[in-house]
Amino acid sequence: MVFNINAVLPELILSAGILLIFFLDLIKERINLSILSLVGFIVCILSALSTFHVRYPASAFFNGFKVGSAELVAKMLIYLVTSLVFLALYDFYKRKGSEYGETIYIILTSALGLSFMLSSTNLAIIFVGLELSSISLYIAIALYRKEYFSKEGAYKYLVMGAISTSMFAIGTAFVYLAIGTMNITSPQGFNPIISLGISFLIFALALKISSVPFHFWTPDAYAGAPTPVTAYIATVPKIGYYFLLAKLTLLLFPSFKEWYILVGVLAVITMFYGNITAYAQKSVKRLFAYSSIAHAGYFLTAFTSTDKFLMTSALFYVFVYSLATLGVFTILSILEKEDGWKNNFEEFKGLFYKRPFLAVNLALFLFALIGIPPMAMFVGKLGIFIGLVSKEMWILGFLFAIASLISAGYYLKLIVYMFLERGEGEIKAPVSVGEMLTLNTCSLLTLIFGIYPKPLFDIILRSI
Amino acid sequence: MENILTLMIFLPLVGALLIGIIRSPQASKIISLVFSFVTFLLSLVLLANFDFNKEGFQFVKKINWINSLGISYHVGIDGMALLLIVMTTFLFFCAFVWSWRIEDRVALYHALFLMLETACIGVFSALDFFLFYIFWEGMLIPMYFIIGFWGHERKVYAANKFFIYTFFGSLFLLLGLATIIVYGVVSKGVFTFDYITHLKYIDYPRWIELLAFLLFGIGFAVKVPMWPFHTWLPDAHVEAPTAGSMILAGVLLKMGTFGFVRYSLGLFPEASEFYIPLIFLLSVIAIIYAAMMAIAQTHIKRLIAYSSISHMGIVTLGTFALTEEGINGAIYMMIAHGLSSAALFMGAGFIYDRIHSYEIKNLGGLARYVPVFAVLFMISGLASIGLPGLAGFVAEFLVLLGTYKNHPVWAFIAGTGMILGAAYFLYMYKKVMLEEERISDAVREKWMKLRDVEMHHLIPFVMIIASAFLLGLYPYPFVKIIGHTSQLILGG
Repeated sequence: MVFNINAVLPELILSAGILLIFFLDLIKERINLSILSLVGFIVCILSALSTFHVRYPASAFFNGFKVGSAELVAKMLIYLVTSLVFLALYDFYKRKGSEYGETIYIILTSALGLSFMLSSTNLAIIFVGLELSSISLYIAIALYRKEYFSKEGAYKYLVMGAISTSMFAIGTAFVYLAIGTMNITSPQGFNPIISLGISFLIFALALKISSVPFHFWTPDAYAGAPTPVTAYIATVPKIGYYFLLAKLTLLLFPSFKEWYILVGVLAVITMFYGNITAYAQKSVKRLFAYSSIAHAGYFLTAFTSTDKFLMTSALFYVFVYSLATLGVFTILSILEKEDGWKNNFEEFKGLFYKRPFLAVNLALFLFALIGIPPMAMFVGKLGIFIGLVSKEMWILGFLFAIASLISAGYYLKLIVYMFLERGEGEIKAPVSVGEMLTLNTCSLLTLIFGIYPKPLFDIILRSI
Repeated sequence: MENILTLMIFLPLVGALLIGIIRSPQASKIISLVFSFVTFLLSLVLLANFDFNKEGFQFVKKINWINSLGISYHVGIDGMALLLIVMTTFLFFCAFVWSWRIEDRVALYHALFLMLETACIGVFSALDFFLFYIFWEGMLIPMYFIIGFWGHERKVYAANKFFIYTFFGSLFLLLGLATIIVYGVVSKGVFTFDYITHLKYIDYPRWIELLAFLLFGIGFAVKVPMWPFHTWLPDAHVEAPTAGSMILAGVLLKMGTFGFVRYSLGLFPEASEFYIPLIFLLSVIAIIYAAMMAIAQTHIKRLIAYSSISHMGIVTLGTFALTEEGINGAIYMMIAHGLSSAALFMGAGFIYDRIHSYEIKNLGGLARYVPVFAVLFMISGLASIGLPGLAGFVAEFLVLLGTYKNHPVWAFIAGTGMILGAAYFLYMYKKVMLEEERISDAVREKWMKLRDVEMHHLIPFVMIIASAFLLGLYPYPFVKIIGHTSQLILGG
């Protein structure tokens, strides 16, 4: 069938939602941002639900668009996390006096781009999806009234992103040169050009997931962006990129025999650089940017082999990491509503005595990020350990262990500031209903998937 | 009957949740007393129903948990775990009684201790590696906050040091677990975290054993702590509140030695034999070096902490003697040291409560002002240095006997180290309790008004001392229960 409506159902709903919000924003001069974000939330939930009604495997647009089980799982996770982002977003913008309706549909557009990116085996279409999501992100970062640093972050991200774009394009071209098609398939025989193509694709994606040495945009974009948008860029696109990486690793990368060395080296320098540099940070927001870089290194270790178990562990890890990170940035955005809040460590002194709810939740996420059971990240870490050892990559497993040990220190530093020091003054920043919902969902899911990871783990394992 | 163990693991956690809901200081004290007491009673039920003629684990409960990773909820106990659980619940009850007068953030304090109790009982009863590891790590967060919140001046430093050290060990333990689990998959095609399956059906080749033993060993050695991984312990003890020190010395350290007996000896018999010289060397260094360090201390708690390291050296020595007496003695030592070190830390805590100093130079001649306490402290110390008739003696005797059988030279060196044990305690006691001329008249005047032990001090002291006498005078049933484990290990 040329045009299969059923296959693009989630994307259709998403597009309709984008148009709806666009018109709502257009018709009324100053529409309430909370209504728009509620619409965005509903659209995301509907799209997530609609993934259950897609019959797979299916294709549309002359085979340019393909859905299988892995794509559907990825999309569902993306929509779910995006919906949580919307819940946590409106109150921040309102109190900062930066109510742009555009923010909502731009974020939706980015999610749409990610789902197009995931539902294709054609590198050209993947490229278009990737760009759609990235360009939306540049705009979303810059949409922050009277805030210089958000523009700077967006600009930096744009320039670095353009490098990634061109690397992806040239990688695609080389792959096309080597195998004569843009579809991701393994070529017949060996062609040295393909190694060049694959290396460029890896570098392009490495920049997107902020792996060292392509990470320079991350701290500035994270710190400059309005915090709810940071929450988005730190979580949802990551899920998309790693699912794409999983697909490319399974289907294309092995044609370049030494690809795993490249990824392995990237992984090691990323996790060590991220974890060590994190110690030098004075701003908590930048700290989490570096923690996100370090995690990119952890996740990359799993993409050094085509082992499905290893990949499942990594994808599971990515998802629960997104939940914890979303929770962290939600807390930061709540605190940022306080006048003159700069996200410095000093300001977190005695948070436990001022705002016990926020401090306890943040501590939960921090312990989860360290990888302490029974939080879900531990299951992901354990899976990667076992996977690496079973593939006899002892060194990588060992370095992973060392890196996560190093990371414990800076997370603990924040815990020390919050719990063991006494600070002065009060923090009055209010918590909106939406933020409360997001926060509780994140912390509950982090715990639940830690104690009972079976359903999610099995779903991912069976889908890829 | 099979559900009692599960009930015991989660009962304290329920108590912690209850405290979280109620939050009243007075109620939280009562809740934790009631819950810890009920848990203790349940552990006695286990003790009464334990059949030590039956081989293998008892009170076993197994429920599927995460099938795709081969993880199940699997608990059960052998003789060693049984005694350690009884001691754990007993010490927690004592710690709660001791904490009756605490005033700072009471609800949080009790909730954290109850969570800690869940983790401790869980570690001793888990038969699944994943479950074991969860409890093993689960103890980290409550203890971190107990030291960090209620500690003394350098509490943040000590808490962080404790966390990082322990986490360091745990990561190696995790790598070790991954190694043997992967070997299970590769060799037999079974993806399982189950301890018993690994123990009975999977034989590791020599190089896997040697590697995994080291990885596990680092994890356990940090917790024990063995020399040279011991430096976190004195700091943690010095800074921790009294009840925290009691649990740290009494229960948490035993997790490491328990791990050596249950996992290292059980799973890697060949490697255990291979590493005997290394372990013996580290143990003997710990025994002698820590004892000498203890003599040099001027801080009561630091002194007791070093004595703990020294005693733990005796435990590892006995464990790796690989004779029945040696292992029996090691496990006996775990119990005996758990009781005596908790009592000593209570003593140090009492002195701090009254005088507000741990420094030996500020103390002297206390026996005149707090006579009842002086007696209790003396008996606790004698239990620790292994006076015949008290628990420590049986343990040390068994360990030396067991080691002497195969390794007489090592036994001789370790024996000389044990003599130092008597030296540091008696030296400290003499200075703190007896030497009256060291204190000025003004202080004397002040100390005339010191109150002797109160009820909430006396109850735990008497309970612990009574059990130390019981273990010292009538060791037969306990050795019999412990023998259940050592036969399991040496026979298999």
